[in-house]
Amino acid sequence: MASVEIVDVRKSYGDQAVIHGVSIAISNGEFVALVGPSGCGKSTLLRMIAGLEEITGGDVKIGDKVVNGLPPKDRDIAMVFQNYALYPHKTVAENMGFALKLRKTPKAEIDQRVKRAAEILDLMPYLNRYPRQLSGGQRQRVAMGRAIVRAPQVFLFDEPLSNLDAKLRVQMRAEIKELHQRLKTTTVYVTHDQVEAMTMADRIVVLHDGIVEQIGTPLELYDRPNNLFVAGFIGSPAMNMFKGTIRAGAHPHFETADGTRLPLASAPAGSDGLAAIYGIRPEHLTLGGDLKPTVTVIEPTGSETQVIAKLAGEKIIGVFRERVNVKPGESVAMSPDLSLVHLFDAKTGNRIS
Amino acid sequence: MPRTLGRILIYTALILWTIIALFPIFWTFSTTFKVAKDVQLGHIIPWVDFKPSWLGLRAIGLSPDTIFTESTPRAEFIKRFWNSIQASIGASILALILGSMAAYGLSRYSYHWKIWKNRDISFFFLSQLILPPVVLAMPFLVLYKELALLDSMIGLILIYTLSVLPIVIWIMKDQFDTIPQELEQAALVDGCSIWGAFFRIILPIALPGMVAAFILSVILCWNEYFFAALLTSSYAKTLPVMVASQTGSQGISWWSMAALSSAAILPLIIIGIFLERYIVKGLTTGSVK
Repeated sequence: MASVEIVDVRKSYGDQAVIHGVSIAISNGEFVALVGPSGCGKSTLLRMIAGLEEITGGDVKIGDKVVNGLPPKDRDIAMVFQNYALYPHKTVAENMGFALKLRKTPKAEIDQRVKRAAEILDLMPYLNRYPRQLSGGQRQRVAMGRAIVRAPQVFLFDEPLSNLDAKLRVQMRAEIKELHQRLKTTTVYVTHDQVEAMTMADRIVVLHDGIVEQIGTPLELYDRPNNLFVAGFIGSPAMNMFKGTIRAGAHPHFETADGTRLPLASAPAGSDGLAAIYGIRPEHLTLGGDLKPTVTVIEPTGSETQVIAKLAGEKIIGVFRERVNVKPGESVAMSPDLSLVHLFDAKTGNRIS
Repeated sequence: MPRTLGRILIYTALILWTIIALFPIFWTFSTTFKVAKDVQLGHIIPWVDFKPSWLGLRAIGLSPDTIFTESTPRAEFIKRFWNSIQASIGASILALILGSMAAYGLSRYSYHWKIWKNRDISFFFLSQLILPPVVLAMPFLVLYKELALLDSMIGLILIYTLSVLPIVIWIMKDQFDTIPQELEQAALVDGCSIWGAFFRIILPIALPGMVAAFILSVILCWNEYFFAALLTSSYAKTLPVMVASQTGSQGISWWSMAALSSAAILPLIIIGIFLERYIVKGLTTGSVK
């Protein structure tokens, strides 16, 4: 196990810069998720840690050693790929033992370590099969087995669950998390799925266009997003947002372009008249109150009801534990939890605290 | 009923086509056992049209009565046969080694040289096939004369390597393109060097394609006549050249030509029957599914 430190790392292809100085410190044994929309540079960053991609500027340290110039084989890392990348001409056992064989580990020890990993991952019956004879979930497990038999310093995961169906994905999510709690190996996990990142990671790094938007624990990102991008990216369904102006005074409130008033607990100092974005998460709306949006769609899921409606020309989504007895076209009364309203500067997109 | 009728029609067509396809081979084999009169009269069916004779095989010393005696034509034939084997197998192995590496490079790395990129390099290789070999005849003759490669086995192997290289590169590039890059990357992370990943992971997976490319290039080299006739005279002459030389001043010795042709076709028929599925597999399927 080792810490991983990324210091002002940059990457460009020719003149095209894709990563503009990213710094992340990952401590020993931590599970960090790199999350962001496609093309944000998260996979490139992971591949730079692995040594599969050259580093244009900055340093990558594993342990306390700068590994910029080292080939992947000398970095003591293991990686799980999106398409599993199992060797099709080798059996499951050979796939898992390949790295040890390359290191000239004695055969008895390879067998023993492969067996132990196979027991952890429920792969014992499949050790002599070939990858093509396995289901997607089993292949995924073999890919993980290949990583864990080596007991490397760092695990790298590159969207490992995106080729699985929804049910299996949820199951494997829990398995990977459990595996991490058991092995306590430093893990860097790339995903585009914020739910995956939220549920699995100790800390999340939100990347966008090659820069870090915010680093924090899942709940920090959820409770206090630093900017509009993180606010919109973390949480599902996404946060409702309204453009308008902050009005301080005796009755502080937020006024949208068409004059709709949204309530505020208090206006931040010196923010009177500031053009801003008002954000409220769907689950922080309660039924009853002053807002009267017009319902467009009702989506009951049993445990909760999702109401999609229109307010001040914008879409507003509310998620309620209660049953909602309204029809599309009617209006429904709701109100935001004032302590959970987020305000962002319309110009910079940054949070106004 | 119409289904049965359809089947009958399909099978009739298939049988007809089989006869058309196999007839030249049958004719070649049967002509081995004909005398001049039978050839000229167009006799086809043995024992009915004509009485088989050992004339053709005797001409190359392979008939029952000559096979255990000293025979100059047989020694000549075996020498040519051996030359053909050396030239086609040697050139195919060389082309496979060079072609696989070139194809791997084209499939995995991006090359830039001035305005030329991978696609242009690939096209350059393939464009060699467009060029008629006749264009190369004179230059090669001059070149080989200067390098003292005329009528040498090495010279023949080199020119055959050159002529099958484009096809080998083409097949192997196709093959490497179907192998996901993550496989090498996984191998690199697991502890291989770049060469290690190529030899331990990529080559075994690309094996069906390599077998196909190898067989195809053996067939192409085996059949090659033009350069063999041009660049060899006595020492390195191959079987096709010997077959062609059976037309002499006394006319064509059909029987011995047919006997030689049969011997030349035989290896290809064996390849066709036993290795055809490897060719199809190598050329049609991607490696990993």
